[in-house]
Amino acid sequence: MQIHPIIVALRRHKAGTLLIALQIALTLAIVCNALFIIHQRLSHLSEPSGIDEANLFVVTNLWGEQYSTDEAAAKIQQDLAALRQLPGVDNVTPADSYPLRGGGWDNFITLKPEQVSMTTDASVYTGDEHFLRTLGVKLIAGRDFHADEVQNMGLRQNFVPPVTIISKALADKLYPNGDALGKPFYSMSDKPTTIIGIVERLHRADVSTWSAPYANESLIWPIRMAQPWGVFYIVHTKPGQLDEAMREAPKALYAENRMRMISSKDGVRSFAQIRHLAFESDRGMAVLMSIICVVLLAITGAGIVGLTSFWVGQRRRQIGVRRALGATHRDILHYFLTENFLISLAGVAIGVLLTFGLNLWLVERFEMQFLPLAYVLGGMVILLLLGQGAVFAPALRASRVPPVEATRPA
Amino acid sequence: MLKMTHLSKVYRTEVVETYALRDFNIDVKEGEFVAVTGPSGSGKTTFLTIAGLLETFTGGEYHLDGIEVSQLNDNARSKIRNEKIGFIFQAFNLIPDLNVFDNVEVPLRYRGMKAPERKERIMGALDRVGLASRAKHYPAELSGGQQQRVAIARALAGSPRLLLADEPTGNLDTQMARGVLELLEEIHREGATIVMVTHDPELAARAQRNVHIIDGQVVDLAEDPRFHTAYTAAAGQIRS
Repeated sequence: MQIHPIIVALRRHKAGTLLIALQIALTLAIVCNALFIIHQRLSHLSEPSGIDEANLFVVTNLWGEQYSTDEAAAKIQQDLAALRQLPGVDNVTPADSYPLRGGGWDNFITLKPEQVSMTTDASVYTGDEHFLRTLGVKLIAGRDFHADEVQNMGLRQNFVPPVTIISKALADKLYPNGDALGKPFYSMSDKPTTIIGIVERLHRADVSTWSAPYANESLIWPIRMAQPWGVFYIVHTKPGQLDEAMREAPKALYAENRMRMISSKDGVRSFAQIRHLAFESDRGMAVLMSIICVVLLAITGAGIVGLTSFWVGQRRRQIGVRRALGATHRDILHYFLTENFLISLAGVAIGVLLTFGLNLWLVERFEMQFLPLAYVLGGMVILLLLGQGAVFAPALRASRVPPVEATRPA
Repeated sequence: MLKMTHLSKVYRTEVVETYALRDFNIDVKEGEFVAVTGPSGSGKTTFLTIAGLLETFTGGEYHLDGIEVSQLNDNARSKIRNEKIGFIFQAFNLIPDLNVFDNVEVPLRYRGMKAPERKERIMGALDRVGLASRAKHYPAELSGGQQQRVAIARALAGSPRLLLADEPTGNLDTQMARGVLELLEEIHREGATIVMVTHDPELAARAQRNVHIIDGQVVDLAEDPRFHTAYTAAAGQIRS
C-alpha cells in the first residue's frame, strides 16, 4: 500500500483536499439527516390506522339550514336510516372526526384530577354504539357501548361521559401494568371517565409531526355530535361495494332531504383518498429531501471528478515518471482510488461529527428524533462508494498515461 | 546486455509515415559505458525510450538482458523497467510532492520491497551520491545538481542491470555537470552498464564508446571525418 506517500503528497495540496473533504462532510451530514427524515415520512405513509380502510368512506354533510341540537340529532337518525338501506352498505355511524382526517379534537389526559402536567395526549372521537363495528376497529378487552349510553351533544355543550373506550396504546401509557380496564382517568375535567373497553389500535385524527409520539393514543366517547353546521357519516360497505356505495350515498341523502350540501369534489371520500391527503406533506417532504440528497450527492460526485481530473492533468508527467519507474496500470489506478479513499475517509470522519451536530440541532429546534447509528454508517458507505465511483473514470484515464510521458518536455 | 537488430520505429499519421529509427542496430555489452550522440531530431531520444521500454517499436528485434521484449505485455514491461533499468532524465523528473527519501523509494515500492530493505537501500543510494543528510528535503529545496544526484540515487537504489541517462547534465551548469559525470563514471567503474544520450561532445568523450545516430540510423564515425575530428579534439581537451 502506498498510503504514506499519498498522505505526504496530499499535505502539499491542502486547499483542494480540504475542499473536497469538507464537501463530503457536509454532504454526509445533510444526506444522513435527510434520509432519516425521508424514512420517517415514508414509514408515516404506511402507518396502520386500526380501521378497515379498504371498505370505508366518509360523507361530509353540511346542513343547508341552522338546526337545533334535537333537530340535528333527528336529521342524523333519518340520514343513517337512509344510508343503511343502500344495498352495498354494511354499517354507518355519525362522527365529528375520523382517523387520518388531518386534524380534530385532542385532550390532555391525567390520572388524577388535581394533576397539573399531562400524563399523555389523546385524540378524542365521539361515536355511537355502531362506531366500532362500522370502522372495523378490533375490541380486545371489555365491551362496546350500549345504545342507552350514547348521548347527544350540541353546540356549546361540553361534558365528559362516565364511560369510555380507549386504544391499547393509550391504555398502556396510562396503566403500563395492563390493568387499565375498569380504571378511571381524567380528560380536562375533574369528573373521571371509566375505561369500559380497549381496542387494538385506533390512529389519531391528526398526523402532524408533533403528535407522532401519541399516534395511536385515542379515546372514544359515547356521544352523538349534533352540531348545527353538519356531520360526518362514516360508511362501511360490503366487500367490493365501495365504489357503488360512494356513488349512491349522496343520492340517498339528497333524496331524504335536499337541504344539505355534499361537495361533488370532495364531499365523499374513500379512505384511500383520505390517507393520500393526510400524508401529502410527508410525501412532499420525502420527495424534496430525496431531491436534495440526489443533488448534493451529484454535486459532490462532480466535485470529486473535477478535482481528480484536474490533478490527473496536472500530474500527467509525474504519472509518466511513475510508469517509467515500474508502476503498472493497476498501480496508478490504485494510487488515485486510494488517494480519493483517504480524502473521503477524512471527509466522512468530519462528516460524522457534523451529522450528529445537525441532528442534535434538529432535535432541539424541531423535535426530531435522535438519528440511529445505522443511518450514519449507511451514509458513510454511500459517500465512500460515491467517491470511489466518481474517481474511477479520471483514475482510469491516469492509468492510461504512457511511461514515455516522462521524457516529454514539461 | 542491450541488443537491437534491424529495429525500426515509425510514427504514422493519415498522410505521412515518419521513420524515427530505421534499420537500427546496436549492441551494448555488459559493463560498457556508451554515449549515444547525434544532432537534434536524429532519433537519440526515441532510441532511449525504446531501450527503456517506455514505448514500443514497429519492427526488428530488441533483446534486453537476454529477453526478447517485443511480445511482452505492459505489466511485464513495467516489471523489467522496475527491476532491470534505472532512468536518469534531463529534467530530473523528481516528484515535487515527495521528499528526497520518498522519491528514491518510489521504484522500490512498486517492486513490493519490505520497508526495512527499502530504507537500507535508499539510505545507501543517498549516501552514495552524498545526499544522505538531505533525505527529508523536498526537490524544490535542492540545487539542480543535487536534484540530479537524487535522480541517480533513485536509479541506483533498485540495483538495475542497465542505467539509461537522457542528457543527464543538460540542465546543469558546468561545475554541477562535472560532478554528475564523475558520479556516473564512478558507477561505471563499479561495473554498471550505462547508455547515455547526449549531444555534448565533451560528455560523449568521457564514455567508453560512442554511438552516433543520424536520421534514425547508427553511423560509423570513422567514415565521417568531420565528426571524427570534432570528437577527437573534444576528448583530447577533456583528458588533458
